[in-house]
Amino acid sequence: MNNIPRFRWRYDKTLGLLLISPWLIGFLLFKFLPILASLVLSFTDFYLIEPEATRFIGLENYRRLFQDQAVGYLLFATISMAITTIPLQIVSSILLAALLNSRRLAGSTPLRTLFFLPSIIPSVAIGLMWFGFVDPNTGWLNRFILQPLGLAGFNNVFSDAAIALLFTINSLWSIGPGMLIILGAMQGISDEIMEAARVDGAGPMVRFFRITLPMISPAIFFSLIINLIAVFGGVILLDRGNLFSGSSSPFDGYISYWLFEEWELGYAASLAWFFFVLVMVVIVALFASSRYWVYYPDRDV
Amino acid sequence: MQSPEPRRNWLAPRNYFSVQRWELFGTGLFNLLVFSILFIYLFPTLYMVAASFMESIQLRDRNAPPYPSRQVRFAYEGKEYLVYDVPMGENESRPLALVAPGRTSSQFVDPANPEAGLITWDGNWRALVGVYRFHVTTDNFKILFDSLRLPQMVRNTLVVALITEIGVLFSSIIVAYGFARFPLPGGNLLFYLMIATILIPEKVTLIPTYFFFVRILGWEGSWLPVLVPFFFGNAVYIFLLRQNFKSIPKELEEAATLDGAGPIRTLFSVVLPQSWPVVITVSLLHFFYIWNETRQVSLYLSTRRDLAPVSFGIQNFQSLSPVQNQLQASALLIMIVPVIVLLLSQRFFMRGVVITGMEKD
Repeated sequence: MNNIPRFRWRYDKTLGLLLISPWLIGFLLFKFLPILASLVLSFTDFYLIEPEATRFIGLENYRRLFQDQAVGYLLFATISMAITTIPLQIVSSILLAALLNSRRLAGSTPLRTLFFLPSIIPSVAIGLMWFGFVDPNTGWLNRFILQPLGLAGFNNVFSDAAIALLFTINSLWSIGPGMLIILGAMQGISDEIMEAARVDGAGPMVRFFRITLPMISPAIFFSLIINLIAVFGGVILLDRGNLFSGSSSPFDGYISYWLFEEWELGYAASLAWFFFVLVMVVIVALFASSRYWVYYPDRDV
Repeated sequence: MQSPEPRRNWLAPRNYFSVQRWELFGTGLFNLLVFSILFIYLFPTLYMVAASFMESIQLRDRNAPPYPSRQVRFAYEGKEYLVYDVPMGENESRPLALVAPGRTSSQFVDPANPEAGLITWDGNWRALVGVYRFHVTTDNFKILFDSLRLPQMVRNTLVVALITEIGVLFSSIIVAYGFARFPLPGGNLLFYLMIATILIPEKVTLIPTYFFFVRILGWEGSWLPVLVPFFFGNAVYIFLLRQNFKSIPKELEEAATLDGAGPIRTLFSVVLPQSWPVVITVSLLHFFYIWNETRQVSLYLSTRRDLAPVSFGIQNFQSLSPVQNQLQASALLIMIVPVIVLLLSQRFFMRGVVITGMEKD
């Protein structure tokens, strides 16, 4: 009779609520009121220079937003940025993690650190380094890469091609944390599964697409959501120490403009909330789609 | 295990592409590929490293070599002159010191033979390329050490990193376990609410948050606004840990439950040992965040210089000195500690793998 445990816990709602209570309390204490306040602000004409004159103006800010021509343009720019950089970042971090996970690689420990390195360069330094690197006269890009190859040099650092290259390199230089997360997931795959597949005659390609990718799909899903949030101006996984006003996302930059240049908090808040609703719809849709392509061993929870 | 090799038949055709050789060749090629990718990937950062050891004059010189260097000088009759590579006839050139520059002809002196007197050369001296010698300066770093109280700042950062690391790991792990394994009232609604909090830009809630911390709680001039929220978990880390917990099969936990372990004990002795890589990743991400954090600090700690972290000090330095090589040096300096931490953490990654393998047997 001693074998029967005295206390048996079950996966129930009360226990779940208890476990997530630290976050819930923190949310109610530090996040809920500021978020609510910004929602309320979006229905007012709050102007930081004259806070006393604030009036409740209903949906006026949202009406203004739909007539603002910059909104449509910047929304388009942000979405095209998301469509180009997110797949680039995810695919390159998976490929890099797969390379670094290989047993054949010599010195994989320092290599991981070196590949991670550009992701922790402070934001001030990264811009400087870039403009020093592409400088038409003294920069290395013209002198040591383009000219020896007989290619035409970069003359305008702010040309469309240069800016596109900067964005590409900047997004490739931010894959460090994503790479680390996917690498961690790859290392969690047990050797027995791989060995069993090998014995059954699965080649490296089949093993990668049929075993590795499904097993790391929860990590890929995380990267997708977090990259999406970062492109649209939310939390960045690895913060380079940007300023409040600094942003790489066009639409987020527009919110910053109304906040820090014009001090019109009401309009800035309405822009942010409009944008929030749009992106949240995409995120909820992605979560709904995850049951078809993200593999969790126990689906019942 | 192989049986001893029989006597080789020297007349038989030999198989040069044996499996072992092919493997060796493939491994070599593979390593070459990875190292070339690494070189291309890091190439612009080499500029940062080189520039932080350069003198300012070299950064403006379009003929200077990529490594830190200085144009050779030659003292002649009490004055110093720069040495240039002067072409002399066909395919020949001599390093000469430029004494009297001129648009169409200039006068030089030969450093190897100064007694020979001035040599006149026809042509525009501006087209000449200088002679450079490897020369490293550490002045850029000296300025940093002189103008910042680096030891105090690094200590501040490390204390904050350690305290919040403990708080954020403990709370995030517990919350993530709740989200990964337990049904919650309202289904996924609370989880979506958490994702929503990371989507709303920080700057939009900036002023209400500041008002709450400073006017209501009176936390200005202290680390509390940065420290305390981390003890209630961080949404990004919770999401990352939840993804990992959900990818672990439940059988072991159910076995532990049957043996009488409570939920917290199950989490820490069954689930966590299988999750080392992701726990290390979370603690690294948090460390880098604290190491680079300047926004909260500039809001709440701008009046307390003795509490300033290293990121804030470096940022102030960067905004005051617009000299490119000093900025690069400061950026390089601030990256040293994260790189060391990253290198040291790698061994735990390996440990994580071993434990995972053992647990799954």
